[in-house]
Formats: sequence, structure tokens, C-alpha cells
Amino acid sequence: MASNSGSYNFKVVLLGEGCVGKTSLVLRYVEDKFNTNHVSTVQASFLNKKLNIDGKRINLAIWDTAGQEKFHALGPIYYRSSNGAVLVYDITDEDSFQKVKSWVKELRKMLGADICLVIAGNKTDLEKNRHVSLEDAENYASKVGAIHFQTSAKLNKGVEDMFLTLTQKMLETVEEKEAQNAPLSRQNSQRRNVVVVDDDQVPPPPTRQCCGNS
Amino acid sequence: MPIFALQRSYKYMMYATKQPSLRINQADLKCKNGCGYYGNADWDGYCSKCYRNHMDQERQRKARQSHHSDQTKISGFSKFEEKKRQQTDKKNKYLKSLPVFRKTSSVKDSGRPERHLDLRQANPDADKLMAEFISLYGVWGDMVRRDFFKCVQSFTTKIYSELDNKPIEDIAEMAQKYYNLYSNRVNSTETYQEVTTDVRDELLDFFEKYVMVSLYSWLFCPPSTNDEEKDLIIQERIRKLSWVNAHHLDCCISETSIEVRDLVYTAITHLLGMDSMKAPQEKLACVVNCCQSVVKVLQHCQGGPVSADEFLPALIFIVLKANPARLKSNILYVTRFCNDSRLMQGEAGYYFTNLCCAVSFIENLTAESLNMPQQEFEAYMNGEITSVSAWESALVACEGMHQLCEHLSLLKDLSQRTTTVQDETQKLTQDILKFKDEINEKVISVLEKTPLIIKPRKTPEDLKIEASQIAAIKIEVEETQPQTNFYLQNLQIGQNNLGENKTKLQLDITSCMDKQQSLEFLSPAFESLEGATPDDQNSLSLSKINYDIDFSDLSGENSVAELTPEKRKSPSFTPDPFSPVGSSCTITQVPLVPSQVESDFVLPFVEGEKAGEETLLEKEDEAANLPSPIKPMTSQYSGFSKQGWQIPSIPCITGDLASSNASQSNSQASTSHDN
Repeated sequence: MASNSGSYNFKVVLLGEGCVGKTSLVLRYVEDKFNTNHVSTVQASFLNKKLNIDGKRINLAIWDTAGQEKFHALGPIYYRSSNGAVLVYDITDEDSFQKVKSWVKELRKMLGADICLVIAGNKTDLEKNRHVSLEDAENYASKVGAIHFQTSAKLNKGVEDMFLTLTQKMLETVEEKEAQNAPLSRQNSQRRNVVVVDDDQVPPPPTRQCCGNS
Repeated sequence: MPIFALQRSYKYMMYATKQPSLRINQADLKCKNGCGYYGNADWDGYCSKCYRNHMDQERQRKARQSHHSDQTKISGFSKFEEKKRQQTDKKNKYLKSLPVFRKTSSVKDSGRPERHLDLRQANPDADKLMAEFISLYGVWGDMVRRDFFKCVQSFTTKIYSELDNKPIEDIAEMAQKYYNLYSNRVNSTETYQEVTTDVRDELLDFFEKYVMVSLYSWLFCPPSTNDEEKDLIIQERIRKLSWVNAHHLDCCISETSIEVRDLVYTAITHLLGMDSMKAPQEKLACVVNCCQSVVKVLQHCQGGPVSADEFLPALIFIVLKANPARLKSNILYVTRFCNDSRLMQGEAGYYFTNLCCAVSFIENLTAESLNMPQQEFEAYMNGEITSVSAWESALVACEGMHQLCEHLSLLKDLSQRTTTVQDETQKLTQDILKFKDEINEKVISVLEKTPLIIKPRKTPEDLKIEASQIAAIKIEVEETQPQTNFYLQNLQIGQNNLGENKTKLQLDITSCMDKQQSLEFLSPAFESLEGATPDDQNSLSLSKINYDIDFSDLSGENSVAELTPEKRKSPSFTPDPFSPVGSSCTITQVPLVPSQVESDFVLPFVEGEKAGEETLLEKEDEAANLPSPIKPMTSQYSGFSKQGWQIPSIPCITGDLASSNASQSNSQASTSHDN
């Protein structure tokens, strides 16, 4: 998104079936708390997290989405013009992984390569009930150009790592885009959001150059 | 209800006839006018140019018609006279305020400056904002102010000039570009150098606000679009869905809590307030306030942080209950003209997106999304089934109705609770009965396992031992003297009468007897007889045992005053066997004892122990009874004394008794002195 003198605003959507732990993940990341009784924030659906990577000030706006099946059709409204998406599934629930697959397809179709994807297999603390094999998940992730992570919001494992990696990836993507595009045309790109991009399309290597942007 | 329905259908018909193009087949993509350009479904199948022309014509025609209908229809539709006139009036006003109308009345070229003048005069809000600007940002100098208004001027003029030529989407794009331009200008031009970053952001906001307030009437729900139509469609849709309650949406909003109700009202008020605001950011602020109230509602109902899973259904519920005016227009206006950088990020953006989602959900709502059968859904939609809920009545009907519904739901809740309580009590009673049965069974099983034969089995064992011991004793006794049989008999009786507890003591005694040889019998037997005197003769052995214990205790502590009377009796007897080795004196002494007891005993006893008459009487009885058991004793003694040489342990006892004798003689002396 719009960047001013090394400060970036990124929008990250959390997608996934209901009860896979989307809210827990983001609460763990932003508040570092798991037990919902101790969380100070009133609402956990929209949270901001400020980061500093290589001297760049980054503000992550994390959007939680309603995971119920009946709200699936509203997805495009949520993920419109977002820089990254965290696709969460429950490792004990095969269906939730299938849902992630459908999200990936949809996101790639609607936003193409503009969006950075991270797939999170949550609830690794319930390893003994695992129904989605790690190998399958990782293979799938690499196939669609996403990064796979195993997380546990309860035990605080892999959460920080996941968001950090996603942020770095988004940063790279944005910098590439900045290098390519004139600043003004980018401003309007978010309005025409339906861009079908081939999955295999390889983005050109980043050319480091400073552009006097907005 | 019928009035509403008719009114609605009438309204619907009016708009439907106004734009028959609604039924146009989307398949023919070309402009309806046949100009060769592509048409658009949004423009009723016309291309942009033809659509505008078409709309203008339509409007004029409609305006004329409505003027006519005002006069003609009044007579016919007297029933809806009032409503209709209101509507048409509104419509007329609205249409008159539209620039398009005025435009047609004047020549295009000369119209512009006129309108421009109009723009500034017709907006008291803009004037207010100007004053606000000066008071807020006047400090930053004349240059800032001048530049600001220069930009505003150029922006408004530009937009205004383009208003008729371009579709609203292009104008929105222009506005966005202009926001960016101004932002660049503020951040890079020398004019704004002194302004701090915070104020720069404020300036940008203010710019947007000022511009939008100035152009509000042209940009909000512009005539070139069918926004208004969409508003009516969604309004109608929400009205039809008025039966949807919190349960259908799976969201936990308690209907009876007053706090929750107030919060819901606040949320609804905020949402309704959106329409009255002019600047996009103000509208956005209303949405944010509404959503924050929704979050509070949810927190009140469930506690803990509110996730999107719960938030969205609740917001849908609020939108359904609020049914805000011109909802779609407002949303479109904000999407078009709110600064993208604000709309796309931040909390406001998130909430606004959620509102869009809620509206989209309502538009596409089906039976499936409410988890109900299609038939039921249709029945609800057709009004065949009506559900009266507390919310429904609170929002539509009077307070009394609302209270009624609230009380009904409360009663429902209470009855549910009573049934649960009743169920629980039933369960509890069943449990109690079950428990009772179980305990009974257990007791029975335990009893079966360990039968009641305990006693018969155990006592024989003890008795055997004792019997053997007794047998041993018997042998000894028989060796020494056959006359001891009497004591043995006594012992045996005691054993038979005694419970298990006593047997041990008995055993001790027997062992004692073993040790001290048969002659030891003398003292216990003797004492037993003595102690038995106050009691019944039957419980001889029992009293004997008790006495035995007492005696052992006594031997431990010699100077117990209480027992002195008993002791006192003993000296009167003890001398009999011990002082004279011969047996002759015993008989003579026996009659002496009661007399002595009566004289010496009673008085000190009364003094020493203030036990009252009963004890006195007892003692008197004792005294009276004493001789009778002694009599047989004496006969025994006579027999016993025959073999006095065989008593080794007597000196011990006598010693004991002697000491007590001494003390008692002393006390006797003292009492005699007292007397």
C-alpha cells in the first residue's frame, strides 16, 4: 500500500473455516495472550501491529473474517486490496484444509500474484489427533507459491515467525511493484481488483531503485 | 399492515413503471438506442450518452406527470392521498434540487458560472466549514488558508464541470487523484512547510470534508446512477426480512437485558445517523460508532474479545433492524469519495467493509443461509407466518406491546427454567431412591458375606480358652480344696453372663488367680459378695468385675476420699479372716458389724459426701443387706481358715488394707473427735 519515506501499511486478511483458531492466532501475535479471559482488547476482529524491519516502519492491519460457510461469498469484499492472506486450517480437521485450498484458488484467481499467501496449520498442540499430514500440506503450499507454517496459538509456536515471514514477503512484493510502476497508476490499481493472473507467472527480479513516490 | 403493503406496492409500481428497463434482457449488450456502442445493465441497457439523454427525458416527463397526478389522483385515491402527496412533494423537491433540471432550463455555456455561484451560496454548511477552518488553521498563516481555498475552488470547479460529461465512477477517480495531488502539495510545497505533520493530515481531512460538503448534493446519489433505485430495493428487502431475529443469524444477543437493548438502540441510532451526515468521513465515523456499539453488545452478551465470527452476524442483525434510509447510496458515496487511503485501512475501513458485507449478505440472503427449510422461509417472506419477537415490537410497535413481548420472552425463559428445575428435582429424588436401594443392597450383601454367626463363633473360642484355663485352675483348686468349687461356679456364671468386652478382664483375673494360687479367690470372691450386696443377686458377677476394676484403681491411688466408706466397710470385715487365725470369732463378729456400721458410718458419710438421702438410703440398705451375704461367707471362712498356712499372698493384701486401715482409723478418730 501507500508508502511514505520507508513506512508501509499492509493489510492482511485471516481466512479459514470457523473454529480453526484465526482469532486466537492474531490475539497471540498482537497481545501475546491465549486465554481469552485475560485479553484486554474488546474486539479481536481488527488489530494493528507495528513492526520495524530493516529500518522500515511497517504497520500490519490484520483483518479477521467470519469463517462460517454462509459468509464464504463475502470473501471478495474482505480480501479486496489486501497485501497478504493467512490461510488457517486445523491440523485435526481435514475439511478445514480443503477449505484452505478453495480459498487459495479463489485468491489466486481474483488477486493473482499480488497477494502473499501463508498457510498455517494451527493447533499443533493436538498433534496426536492430526488428520492433515505435514508432507501433503507443505507440498501443496509450495505448489501454489505459499509458505507453510505449523503453529500453535496455545503454546505460542510459530506464530511470530509466520507473521514476520509474511511481512518480509509482502515488503519484497511491494518494493518490486514500486520499482515497476509509476506511483500514480498504483494508486488506482486497487479499484480494478479483478485481475486474472496466471499462477506460474514469475515476477521479474527486483531492481533496487528509489522512486519519488507519493 | 394492509396499508403498508399497499403503499409499498404502489411505491414499487411507481418506480417500476418509471424505469421499465428493469426487465431488460441482459443478453443484448449493445445500446438500446442502436448507436453502436455497448450498453450497460446499470444504465438500463443504454450506452452512457444515450442513457443520460434518456434519463433527462424521463425526468421531465415524470415531473410533469407528478404535477398532474397531484390534482387528478386526489379524488380517486382518497385513501392514500396523504401519503402520496408527501411522496410526490418529496420527489419534486428532490428533482428540483438536482442540477440536471436547472441545466435544461439554461444554456449550457452560460449555465456554468451561474451554477458555480449557486454552489457557494446554497451551502450554509460550507460557509460554516470555512469559519471552522479559519478558527482551526488560521494560525498557520494567510498563505495556507489562501492555498487551501484555491485548491478547494479548483477541485470543485473541475468536478462540477465534469459532472455532466462523465459517469460517477470517473468523477470518483478524479476526486481520488485530487486528494493525492493535494496531499503531495501539502507535503512538498513551501507554503505548508511550517505546518506540522499531524496538522497536515488534519488539513487533508479537512480538504476532503470541505470539498465533499460543498458538492454533496451533486455527488450523493447522483441522478446519472440508479442508486436511489437500489436504495429502495434494499429497503424493501430488509422490510421483507423484518422477521429475521438473532436466533436465525446464530448470534447471541439477549433480548431481555435492558443494557443490551440500550446498546442495540445506540448502534441503530448511529447507523441511521449516517444518512444525515454529509462528508464521507463523517458517515464513516457513524459506521464506526455503530460497530463499536455492536462490539459492546456482544461483549455484554458473551464476554471476552469479539471475533469476526460473532461480529458479522450481529452487524447484519443491526442493519436488518435499523433499515437505514438510502443505505446503498450512502455506501456507494463513501466508497466513491472517501479517501482511499482511509477507506482501505484502519479500523474505519474494516468496519465499513463489514457493513458492505452485511448489506451484501442481506441482498443474497436465502433460506439456506438462515438454516431453515425453503418452505418456511417462503412462508415468512410472504407474510404467512408472522413471528412477534421482543425486538420486532420494540422497534415497530408501542411501548406496551414491547413490554408484553419482553415479558412473554421472560416468561418463556422462566418456564424453561422451572421445567429444568423440576427435571432436576425428579432426577434428584430418583437418585435418592436409587442410592437408598443401593445402600440396602450393599448392607444385605455385606450381611450375607459376614453372617450374623459372629457371636456364636467367637464366644466359643474365648470360652474354650477360658474353659481350658478354668480346667487348669480346677485341677489346682481341686488339688488344694474341693470347696473352692463355689467360687468356680461363681466365675462360670460370670463368664456366661458377661459380654465379650468383659471376658478379657475375666481372663486377667483368672491369670491373676493362676499366679496367686487358689487362695487369691478369696479376696475377689469376698469383694464380689460385698459389692453385690447393694445390687441384685443375679448380677453378681458383673458387679464383681466392676468392683475388681475399682479395686485395682484404688490400689493405685490409696487416698481417694470418696471410696473411704467402702474401705471403711472392709476393715470391719478384713479383721475377721486375718486378725484371728482361728475361725471361731467370725460368727460372733458378724452381728456386730451392722451395729458398728450404723453408728460409725452414717454420720461421717452424710457429712463427707453430700449426696443426699438416696445415697444414704442405699448405704443404709447396704448396711442392712450386708450381713446376709456375709453369713454364707462366714461358713466358707471357717472352711478356709482351716488351711490358713497355705496363704502366701495375703500379707500383701493385708498390707494394703492395713495402710488403708491406718488412714481409716485415723479418719475414724478424727470423726470421733468431731462427734
